[in-house]
Amino acid sequence: MSDATFMGVSREKIGWAPTIDYSKCNFCMECDDFCPHKVFERQDGEVKLVVANAKNCVVFCRACSKTCGPDAITFPSKPETIAAIKKIREEEGEAQ
Amino acid sequence: MKCAVLVCSGLDKPLGSLAREVALCAAGQAECEIVCPVLLSNSPGRYEAVLKDLPLAVVDGCGTRCATKLATQLELKITRRMLLPEAVKELGETFEDSLRPGPKAQELALKLALQLVADDEEQEPAPELEAVLFPEPVDLLKVTHGKFVFPIPAEGYFFNENDCWVQVVGSRARIGISDYMQQSLTDITFFEAPDVGRAIAQFDDAGAVESAKAVFDVISPVSGKIVAVNPVLDDTPELINEQPYTGGWLVELELADFDADRELLLTAEEYAVKVKQKAAEASA
Repeated sequence: MSDATFMGVSREKIGWAPTIDYSKCNFCMECDDFCPHKVFERQDGEVKLVVANAKNCVVFCRACSKTCGPDAITFPSKPETIAAIKKIREEEGEAQ
Repeated sequence: MKCAVLVCSGLDKPLGSLAREVALCAAGQAECEIVCPVLLSNSPGRYEAVLKDLPLAVVDGCGTRCATKLATQLELKITRRMLLPEAVKELGETFEDSLRPGPKAQELALKLALQLVADDEEQEPAPELEAVLFPEPVDLLKVTHGKFVFPIPAEGYFFNENDCWVQVVGSRARIGISDYMQQSLTDITFFEAPDVGRAIAQFDDAGAVESAKAVFDVISPVSGKIVAVNPVLDDTPELINEQPYTGGWLVELELADFDADRELLLTAEEYAVKVKQKAAEASA
């Protein structure tokens, strides 16, 4: 398991990553060209691009979605993500 | 605004075709001069007079930002910039997936062109905005990694893990990017500033910093209302590289609830640990 953390919480526990809407995506690969963290991965076959490394995604960064012409990339809500991180911090703080 | 329009030439992509339409509309609406990136790249002299006389507006068709990169390489000052996917989204529109712009795409191109050449709105003087003195850092922590040194102000600044800092004086704050991030981005060419007057939550976007290498979303360490953006960055974005913690500040805010925000921020010592980790991971 990766020991990467974000704000003191294991990155594995934070559900921040892009979601591709395949009804909109035209596989132009702009997001993959843009992202330096290798979050996306190209594939052979009908679905040519997937979110392969969600945990590489920088929490709160949505920059790849700005490169997306068809607006096919979405992210979780920031307030909900912050609330979830705070909750885990509290629980882990109490547990110690 | 009459300007020179350096436009994406992505002829094999729908957004490239839309970019061309935008340039044509801008030329028709405001007598703008169209600058072909291919010719500019091969024979910069051909556009010397135009670029000397007119402010430069750049239209990028996609995130590869060829037009912006070319302008940067030639050390041209960019006055306006439009990234089409973003601009189309902001208008609440969609674009046709076609290389031949139809009537709908032409209508969209006209809207975008009018936005591109719109005259600057009269900036209302910021009312009752008392000047606040943000002191320069006295001591710096220095994180080293190989030949690289990443200074961090030892006191008076807090950080988030997105490599942004905040300096608080009373109810006001300035935010910016850390020395580590400016070194990662390399030569910064543009700060896309957020709107003054907008209220943002902690970790919301507060603009974007662009270099030839990457685009970096500025993630605000604090919540509040944006009261100013650094006015000198339009002309000298390189200040973000040269003085990331002082002259290269990005945005000033009237704080909403710093006590609550503070809980999720790092001190200089804590951020130094993160920088060391990030630098090690980046070079791994």
